[in-house]
Amino acid sequence: MAPPTGARPGWSRRAQYSLFFSFLAAIAGLLIGLFLLGLSLVAPKAYAGVRGAALDATSPVTRALNGATTTVSGLVSGAGNYWDAARQNAALKQQRTQLEQQIVQARAILNENRQLKAALQLRERSPQAVASGRIVGSSFESQRRFAVVSAGGGDGVRIGMPVRASEGLIGRVVEAGATASRVLLISDRATILPTRLLRGGQAVISTGRGDGTVDLRPLEVGRNPFRRGDIVVTSGTGGLYPPNVPVARVVRLDDDGAIAVPLADPAHVSFAMVEQPYQPAALANAPPPAPGER
Amino acid sequence: MVRAALGIGRIDRGPKRLARFVPPISVVAASALSLLPIVASVGWVPDAGFLLLIAWRLLRSDAIPAWWATPLGLVNDLVTGSPIGLSMAIWTAAMLALDLLDRRTMWRDYWVEWALAALLVLADEAARWRIDALMGAPLPFSVVWPPILIAILTFPVAAWAASALDRWRLGR
Repeated sequence: MAPPTGARPGWSRRAQYSLFFSFLAAIAGLLIGLFLLGLSLVAPKAYAGVRGAALDATSPVTRALNGATTTVSGLVSGAGNYWDAARQNAALKQQRTQLEQQIVQARAILNENRQLKAALQLRERSPQAVASGRIVGSSFESQRRFAVVSAGGGDGVRIGMPVRASEGLIGRVVEAGATASRVLLISDRATILPTRLLRGGQAVISTGRGDGTVDLRPLEVGRNPFRRGDIVVTSGTGGLYPPNVPVARVVRLDDDGAIAVPLADPAHVSFAMVEQPYQPAALANAPPPAPGER
Repeated sequence: MVRAALGIGRIDRGPKRLARFVPPISVVAASALSLLPIVASVGWVPDAGFLLLIAWRLLRSDAIPAWWATPLGLVNDLVTGSPIGLSMAIWTAAMLALDLLDRRTMWRDYWVEWALAALLVLADEAARWRIDALMGAPLPFSVVWPPILIAILTFPVAAWAASALDRWRLGR
């Protein structure tokens, strides 16, 4: 059946006009939305100020809620720790004696390493931490992988800076408010990371898969170099990320690459450190280094 | 019998003073659910603001005027961190589409509403997937299926929330 010619709310002129104008307003709204969307596609930096302000306005909520959940989960796990104290104590003591032995060995290796490096005249660039914050939220309703870190422009965070935890690399800053910033995680599809295999040093490109894992492809085509349990670290190519930061561990092989799980799980790292770009010039071209850059 | 049907305490119950603003405020609150401190490695949680918006629209055609979807979408974009303009365009287009569909549908029941909501969720996720691809994150479409299914299965919850809020705001 053909639809009626128009929605008539009755004989009232006022009601007819208000319906018509609200229809026009909706179409105008649609056009404005499409225009703004086009602008965010073409010039994403145009909204940096607005988005930073929105991040500042909303992150206190997330942070307060995060505090509450941490307290509650801390109470629960704290009670569990007391329950199990005697056994844990014994296990920890044993672990400590083992670690002491390892520390001595590591010191010796470190000394040797320093001497060798001095002999080679390699200058070591120590990465500078700009700020550190907690990971308080994430984009759990979108296919993009972002996290919110409780450190912002007021702490010196700038867009494009790399973010890492003690366990490994987390990602890089894409939006910075005054007190909070949004981080593009390494498991996001838009992150393309030059890495290398820790065993053998073969160059590898790591791309996010959007589901918490990363996809690893060797740069040189040939035999699949990966084995389960292999660890990839950043190669430092591109100058944004410092070299030798752990990135991910291989969990599954496929025909010409592997699928790996990031070593720093954003849900469990205690602190995220925002660092200076390894080469300061890398901030200028902050978008991820192209795969063929090497 | 008649007095019992009236119910005790039902006299003097009218619409709340700000009844007109309950639907948009509830949509903003649903958008703000994304501020919960959940750090997830997959994005399978449905877009609560969109679900509640279409639940309101399917419940009553006058609860949220079509053009209010634009500012509500802007709030959703800012709160969830999606590209500005994406939710504005999608939400307003959904409202307009439902306005047009209202003239076509011969009858409405629960299943028709659920099917309409499913179609809108599918269109919403497909549009987001396409825009993500344009913004440098070309995911395979198979990644998007789980959130679509979860959102479709969550729609009855949104419909229940909208009808409960509607009864409360009108004092019924």
